[in-house]
Amino acid sequence: MSGVTLRRLTREVEELAARGTEPAVLAALLAWTVRPRRTLEGLRRALVAHRGTDGRPPAQALLAAVRDHVDDSDAAAASRLLPRWRARGCRLSVVGDPGYPARLAEAWPMTDGPVLLAAAGAGPPPGPTVAIVGARNASSYGTGIAAWLAEVASAAGVHVVSGGAVGIDAAAHRAALEGPGGTSVVLGCGHDVGYPRGHAGAGGLFERILVAGGGLLSEQLPAVPPKAGIVRARNRIVAGLADVVVVVEGGPRSGALLTAGAAAERGRPVLAVPGDIRVPGSAAPNRLLAEGVGACTDPADLLEALPSDRVAAAATVPQAPAGASLPVTLLPSEVHRQLARAWPRAVPGDVLIDRSGLPAGTVLAALTRAQMAGEVVERADGFVLRRDPEPAAG
Amino acid sequence: MGRGLAVVRGIALVGLRPLEVRVEATCSPGLPVLKLVGLPDAAVREAGERVRTAIQRHGLRWPGERVVVNLAPADLPKVGSSFDLPLAIAVLAATGQVPMAAASRTWACGELGLDGSVRAVTGQLPLVAGARQLGARELLVPAGAAAEAALVTGLTPVPVTDLTEVVAALEGRRRVAPLEPVRPCPGPAAPDLADVRGQPLARRAVELAAAGGHHLLLTGPPGCGKTMLAERLHGLLPDLTTDEAIEVAAIHSLAGERRPDDPLRIRPPLRAPHQVVSAAALVGGGAGVPRPGELSLAHRGVLVLDELLEIPRAVLDALRQPLERGEVVLSRARARISYPGAVLLVGATNPCPCGHLGDPRRACTCRPDRIERYRARLSGPLLDRLDLQVPLQPVARAALVDGSPGEATAVVAARVAAARTAAAERWEPGRLNRDADAALLRRTTTRPALARLAAALTGLGASARAFDRMLRVARTIADLEGREVVGPGHVDEAVAYRLPPVPVSA
Ligand SMILES: [Zn+2]
Repeated sequence: MSGVTLRRLTREVEELAARGTEPAVLAALLAWTVRPRRTLEGLRRALVAHRGTDGRPPAQALLAAVRDHVDDSDAAAASRLLPRWRARGCRLSVVGDPGYPARLAEAWPMTDGPVLLAAAGAGPPPGPTVAIVGARNASSYGTGIAAWLAEVASAAGVHVVSGGAVGIDAAAHRAALEGPGGTSVVLGCGHDVGYPRGHAGAGGLFERILVAGGGLLSEQLPAVPPKAGIVRARNRIVAGLADVVVVVEGGPRSGALLTAGAAAERGRPVLAVPGDIRVPGSAAPNRLLAEGVGACTDPADLLEALPSDRVAAAATVPQAPAGASLPVTLLPSEVHRQLARAWPRAVPGDVLIDRSGLPAGTVLAALTRAQMAGEVVERADGFVLRRDPEPAAG
Repeated sequence: MGRGLAVVRGIALVGLRPLEVRVEATCSPGLPVLKLVGLPDAAVREAGERVRTAIQRHGLRWPGERVVVNLAPADLPKVGSSFDLPLAIAVLAATGQVPMAAASRTWACGELGLDGSVRAVTGQLPLVAGARQLGARELLVPAGAAAEAALVTGLTPVPVTDLTEVVAALEGRRRVAPLEPVRPCPGPAAPDLADVRGQPLARRAVELAAAGGHHLLLTGPPGCGKTMLAERLHGLLPDLTTDEAIEVAAIHSLAGERRPDDPLRIRPPLRAPHQVVSAAALVGGGAGVPRPGELSLAHRGVLVLDELLEIPRAVLDALRQPLERGEVVLSRARARISYPGAVLLVGATNPCPCGHLGDPRRACTCRPDRIERYRARLSGPLLDRLDLQVPLQPVARAALVDGSPGEATAVVAARVAAARTAAAERWEPGRLNRDADAALLRRTTTRPALARLAAALTGLGASARAFDRMLRVARTIADLEGREVVGPGHVDEAVAYRLPPVPVSA
């Protein structure tokens, strides 16, 4: 083994490493996986087949397995990938590290969490998380229900993950991104591919998710295209990140069934939204229902299926991204105080005006300014701050 | 026996527009038959028989010759029984029973009974007002409608009870004492705005609506006081001037909703048709002579449409153009009839099919797609015209009891009147900010305010029409503050009167 180039890769990879991830481990794993016929998933299976991790942290077990099999040409090839991740603002983490979603790492390597995970934006928060999945070719019933469930979940502080595809996935992401729960996408390709094009372009869904404080995740090298097998592998990550999986719509061979299966393997609850039996898109959820999964006919079904300890945690999980500034408000202080006290519930305009003691016109004009600046959102039940006014310390 | 052509003037109405009708009569040798020409409708044709019987039974003479009566111009549709009186006078003049010269100076309208009595007709008031517009100085009117006719200034009504008095009036033997016009009636006291507890948003919107004439949309669960607010809004409108009151009364008279001895109402009308109805009932129409609809009956006042979303789409669509123009145009085979219809529309609706969306006390049980479909019915051109959209919360019992009383109607009405005066001085007498010219409006707005509005609309995805409508609301906000120019703060408030968008699925 030639240490020079691998050492340089280690230095180069340092700035891409997520918090708590060893650059040396990251460099070695990257160098391993760039060579044909070697995969990180294969590495995991090898560990399972031999001695597991022998009680070592996953990163150390992995490093021990690859250390002696990577050389300078591997390191040079891996080094060429880094600018593409850097351009996308990605951070890389190794399974089991603090920057890697804990839920996805549970029982690794016996469970199939990816060895490496590249995240643009914030990683999924540790709080309660739901996966809302379904068909690309969705009906207005399906997208409407997905959006309804996602909006209610996000408003309740529950994070929403899905696959970022058009149809059900997009409806769920869109409805969740504004709420305090937020949303993350697990891509079915590398970060540098830009797929689906409508979501990856400037001003598209993915950019909106990043702006709103959500994240884009992928286990793939940056340029890997969305082939069928990779999209299927993506679904197991969606399942691994979630406390509950809800299948909204999907055909008889829908990828959503794979997500549901992966969740069941991990012992996580699966729910399905009953569909119109005349429509092909109802095949997947109705089959799951026939097989005995719970029916989701209301957002409350979804919230009840979350493990109770996680829901209780929702209140204390910091929702604002790290480094959120001190409350700077465009609202009169009394109005802001009321909204902060009620958060994440909305306050009707009438109540805000009445309790502030200010003229209606003054309060309304200030609310418009705050809405245009993104501080406040108006909903059917009143006005609500977009972010937790007092993120928990730490 | 006279052999000349007798001419008496009557009035036809096309909508509220008066047209002069010359009733010409001549006698010629032949069988004693009456021939009516000039496209008279069935009611006018019957007039021939009525007039003949009335003249004979009243001791006057029907000629033993052929009588030809022409109603000119021939291409004008003439309807109703108001031509009985001019017709009878023309026949009496043609047969030398009244002076021909006096008849040719005479304007008359009224129906004859078979006994020769003169009776008021439906739409008597617009006929009198129309006669004045056409230049009549004196008008023979049924005595029963005389007090009402006296409301119209610049014209002397000559009341007649029967044909004997008609003859006397034409021979100059009848002196008319000046008539006492029916007293204007202020109407019952309107419910006071002070009764509205809480709901500051709605109170503010009601004040803006009254000051600028902006249409208002109230959404809220059942029992949140939508009707109550509409009544208070009506109470904030200033009294009508006498001319305006006569115009309003004329429409009601035409629709058969006003009797000649009803006092003149100086309060603007308040119409709340019960869960509408047909397009014809709402904007006017119907077989034969199109009747004014609820929209015209609410002219210069308030039209309340409750359960707006339960009204068929076709009926709502019929409302759009009239709301924009302030008048209803009804096309008929022979004429284009228009009625005034400048109303302040108050629409009320539930926020969703079950009524409880946004209600903190009861959960909404509607599926999201049903809410979307429900709201979609409101969207588009009609919603764009409802400038003030206010979500109402159910009034908590505590607020009803403890809430401090708000300002009284008298206080707010004074501000409303001042703002209306400011608008009328800026635009033209009687013009509300709702109807302000867009170009002039922008000239009274600061550049930062225009920029702010443009930015807000981009966020809302609203139309250019919405831009000017919101600017008009901002103008009213500034007027209530007594400001000459519209600033960004006024615009900010105006933008707030839009319902939050319904979450739309992918
Ligand atoms: Zn509802």
